[in-house]
Amino acid sequence: MKGKIGVFICECGPNIAEKVDVDKIVDEAAALPGVAFVAKHKLLCSEDGKKFLKEQIEEHGLTRLVIAACSPKAHESTFMKVCEEAKCNSHLFQMANIREHCAWIVENKEAATEKAIRYVKAAWRRVGYHEPLAKKEIAVNPDVLVIGGGITGIEASLLLAHADRKVYLIEKSDALGGKVNEFEKIFKNMENTADMLAGKISDVEKNSAIEVFTNSSIEEVVGFLGNFTVTVNKKGERTEIRTGTIVVATGYDSFDPLKAPKYGYGKVDNIYTGREFEVLNKSGKIVGKDGKTPQSVAIINCVGREEMGYCSGVCCLSSIKFARYIKEKLPETEVVNFYREMTLPDKGYQKFFEDTQEKGVNFIRVKSVTVDNSDKGPMITWQNDNGDEHRNVDMVILSAAMTAVNDAETIADMLKISRDETGFFLEEHQKLAPVSTATEGVFIAGCAQGPKNIKESLVQAGAVAGRILSLLIPGKKLEPEVRTSYISEAYCIGCRMCLEVCNYGAICFDALKHVSVVNEIICRGCGNCVGSCPSGAVQTKQFKDIQIHQEVVEVLR
Amino acid sequence: MKGGILNPDNGFEAAVKNFLKDVMEKADIDALLLPFKNAVGDSFEWRLVTADKLAEASVVPPVIAVNGARALSSITRSGKSAMKIAALMRPCEARAAIELSKLNQCDLEPVVLISMDCPGAMPLQDYIADPEKVEKEFEHAAREWNNELIRPICRMCDIFTCTESTWCDADIHVALPETENNAVAFISNTDKGREVLEKVGIGREEELGDWQKKMNARIEERKAARKKAREELKQHVTGLNSLSDTFGSCINCQVCRSVCPVCYCRQCLFNSVKVHYAPDDYLLQAESKGTMKFTPDTLLFQTGRMTHMSVSCVGCGACEDCCPMDIKVAQIFSIAADETQKLFDYIPGKRDAPPPLRVYNEQELKEYET
Repeated sequence: MKGKIGVFICECGPNIAEKVDVDKIVDEAAALPGVAFVAKHKLLCSEDGKKFLKEQIEEHGLTRLVIAACSPKAHESTFMKVCEEAKCNSHLFQMANIREHCAWIVENKEAATEKAIRYVKAAWRRVGYHEPLAKKEIAVNPDVLVIGGGITGIEASLLLAHADRKVYLIEKSDALGGKVNEFEKIFKNMENTADMLAGKISDVEKNSAIEVFTNSSIEEVVGFLGNFTVTVNKKGERTEIRTGTIVVATGYDSFDPLKAPKYGYGKVDNIYTGREFEVLNKSGKIVGKDGKTPQSVAIINCVGREEMGYCSGVCCLSSIKFARYIKEKLPETEVVNFYREMTLPDKGYQKFFEDTQEKGVNFIRVKSVTVDNSDKGPMITWQNDNGDEHRNVDMVILSAAMTAVNDAETIADMLKISRDETGFFLEEHQKLAPVSTATEGVFIAGCAQGPKNIKESLVQAGAVAGRILSLLIPGKKLEPEVRTSYISEAYCIGCRMCLEVCNYGAICFDALKHVSVVNEIICRGCGNCVGSCPSGAVQTKQFKDIQIHQEVVEVLR
Repeated sequence: MKGGILNPDNGFEAAVKNFLKDVMEKADIDALLLPFKNAVGDSFEWRLVTADKLAEASVVPPVIAVNGARALSSITRSGKSAMKIAALMRPCEARAAIELSKLNQCDLEPVVLISMDCPGAMPLQDYIADPEKVEKEFEHAAREWNNELIRPICRMCDIFTCTESTWCDADIHVALPETENNAVAFISNTDKGREVLEKVGIGREEELGDWQKKMNARIEERKAARKKAREELKQHVTGLNSLSDTFGSCINCQVCRSVCPVCYCRQCLFNSVKVHYAPDDYLLQAESKGTMKFTPDTLLFQTGRMTHMSVSCVGCGACEDCCPMDIKVAQIFSIAADETQKLFDYIPGKRDAPPPLRVYNEQELKEYET
C-alpha cells in the first residue's frame, strides 16, 4: 500500500454507535496493511471533529484517508475541505457509508457490523488506487451575448449593462423591440406601448456598454461557460465575439391557423390573425379588405390550443385587448368574443375582463367554433349546450397560441440545449432553475422558454441577469470539475458513440488520429461516455475501472 | 416479395457475374470486392478487382475464410474516397458490415452492398485438408438443403436469405436458383439498390411468391433447428461450473477474437493490465477456492468477449471455424446473442437500428431491477 493510510470511524452521535460495534471496526481496520492510524470520534463533521481530524492527519503524516461515516452526499465535501487544510490531497480520500447503508437499515447489530467492516475494507482497498488530482482554475470572460432584441433581450441587456457588463445584443430584424413593437397598447391598463418601449430602446442606444447587432444572426457557437466564441453574421459580414455567457431571448411565433382549417383562415375573406389585427389596428384604421368599417367583429380564442396541446395563457387577455381596441375606435361596432375557458390568473385581470363586458362586448362560451364562407361574409358556427348556432360577422380575429420560433431547432443544436415536447427551449429545472439550461452558461428568458406575457418575460430577464452576475464575477476564476473523463488514444476506435451521449458537448473527434477527445474544462464527469464506449477506451478520474473493481472485490471477498 | 427475375442460359454463377459486369458499366462502379480462390488453392480470399477479373471470382465459395465485412472495413475505414465499390457477400457478412458501419469502422456510403441466398458454408479445416473433396461435397450439400456436412452454425442460421419476415439490409439481395426454371432474382432493399437495378435495367415488380414460400418453409425449419440446438447447448453452459467445463479446453490463443468481424476494439481488454492482478490476489483466490487454474483468465476471456459481442453477433461462425480446440464458440455465442438482442429489441445488421449502448430507454432492463 502506498503512503500512510488513516482510518476514521464516526459514531454520528448514537446514529452509528448504537447499531454498529465501532470498536470492532477500529480493531479490524488497525490490522489492515498500510494503515498507520485508526481512531473513532463522536461526531466528525462537528467543529471539534474537523479539528481532531486535521490534527491527526498532521501529527501522523497521513497521506491517504478513509472516513467511515454517513453518505458522501452529506459530508464528502466537508471532509475534502479538511484534507485540503491539512495538506493532504482531497482526492486521496474515500468515504464508507456505514450510516445509511449499514446502521440505519440492518436490524441485527452483528450483521450491521460485519457489513460496515466490509465497507471500510472496500474503502481502504479503493483509496490505495486513488490518484491525487490537482485543482484547476480558468480565467473567464464576464461579457454577455444576448440573442434576440425583443422586450426580454432589451431588459436583460439593460440590467447587465447597468452592472458594467459588456453586452452584445443580436437582433435578426432591422430594429429592436420585437413583437411588442406591433402592439398599439398593452393590457391591462391599455397604456401606449410606444411610451414604454421607446424609452427602453433609447436607453440601449445610449448605453456604450451595449453593442447592438441588427440584421444579424448567430452562425456558430464554440466553447463553454466563461469562454464562448460566437460567430455573428450581419448581412454576410461575420464577426467573432468572445463572451462568457449567452442569453437566449428569441421569443415566440404564432400558431399558423392554416394548420387548423376549421377557422377558415386563407379561404374566407376578412379573417385576421391576432398579429395581423395588431398591425391593422396600429395603422389607425380598422377596416375590412373592401375598405369598409366592420359592423360586427368575432374574436375566436384557443386557436391552436388543441393542436399544440397547451394553453398559452396570454391569448385570452390579448383577445380582450382586441375588443377594447375596437370599442375605443369603433364604439358602434358589435364585438363577440368566443371562448372556451377564460384564463385570467393574477391580480387585476378579472377586472379587466369585467370592465370590457360592461363596455358592451359579448362574451360567449362555446364548445367549438368554425368559420365558413357565405355570401354575407364570414359565417360563424358555434356549438354549446343548446346545439349549433350560426351568425354572420364582417370580420374575424383569430387569437392564436404562442409557439416556439421556427429556427428553435437550429439554435438548440448550436447551443447544445434541449427543447421539450412543445418545441420551446427546456429549462434545467422547472422550479429550481427555470432560466438555466443543461449547458452551463447558456440561459433562456421570456417566450423562448414558453408562452408568457410581457410582465413575466421581464421577470425572467431580471432572473437571468441576477444569475449571470452571481455566476461570473470579473477577475474571479472558475474551478472546473476535476473528476473528468479521458479517452485512451490506444483503445479508442473512433466510433463516436460518446459524442452522441455527451449532454455537455464536451467531446470532439480528432479526425487526424481517428479518436475522440474530451475537453476537460467542459466535462462534468457524469460518466455517460464511459458507459457507452464499446471498446473500454473512456475512464472517469476517481471512478476508474481499477478503483471500482478493487472496491467491489473487497466488498464481496 | 417483389424483384426482378433473370433466366440465365449458363447457370446462376454466370448470371450473377453478368449482373456484376452490368453494375460496373452502368452504375458507375469502379471496383468489385469478391471472393477468389487463393494461389495455393486451399482457401479463398477477398480481392478488389475490375470487371476483367470477374471470370475467376467465386460467387458462392464453399468456405468463409475471412469475413467479407473485415475486408470491406479494411478498405473503407480510414477516410473518404470517391471510388465506388460493389461487394458481394453472404447475408451474415453483409450484416457484420452494416454493424461495423454503425461503429464507424466501415463506410458504406461508397459501397453497393449485395447479399445472396446462402446455402451455408463448409468447415474451414476440412477444406484446407482436402479442397477437392470438400468442393464436391459442397456442390452436393448446397443443392441438398441442410446437409450434415455444412457447418453446425449454418444449420441453425435463420437469416440466410432476404424475405419479408427475414430482412437482410444489403442494398441488393440475389435470390439463387430456388425460383422457377432455375432463375436468379434480384431484390432491392434500399434507394441505392433500387437505383442500381434501374440503371442495369432489371425490373423490380415481378412477384417472387413461389421462391418466398419455399424460403419461408426453410426459415421455419431453421428456427426449429435453432430452438433444438439451444436446448441442447443450454445443458452445457448453465451455471459457472458447466460453463467452465465447456470452455475448459480453451488454450487462450484468442484467435476467435482476431477473426471476429465485429470484435471492434483496437486493443483487447484481455491483453491489458486491467485483467492482471497482484500475486497476492491470485494466492487469496486460490486459497479461498482450494485450487486455481493458470493461466487464470480463459473463462473470463470467453464470457467477457461474449458480453462485449453478443449484442452485435451475427452468427457468421468465424470463431468456431478457426478454434484449434474444437470448442463450439459460434454456436454458444450465437444462442447467447439471441437472448441479449431480444432484451434490447435489437437486430444486428439492421440499418436503422441504433446500437443499444447509444440509446437510453427508461423501460429497458426493468426485469433486472430490484
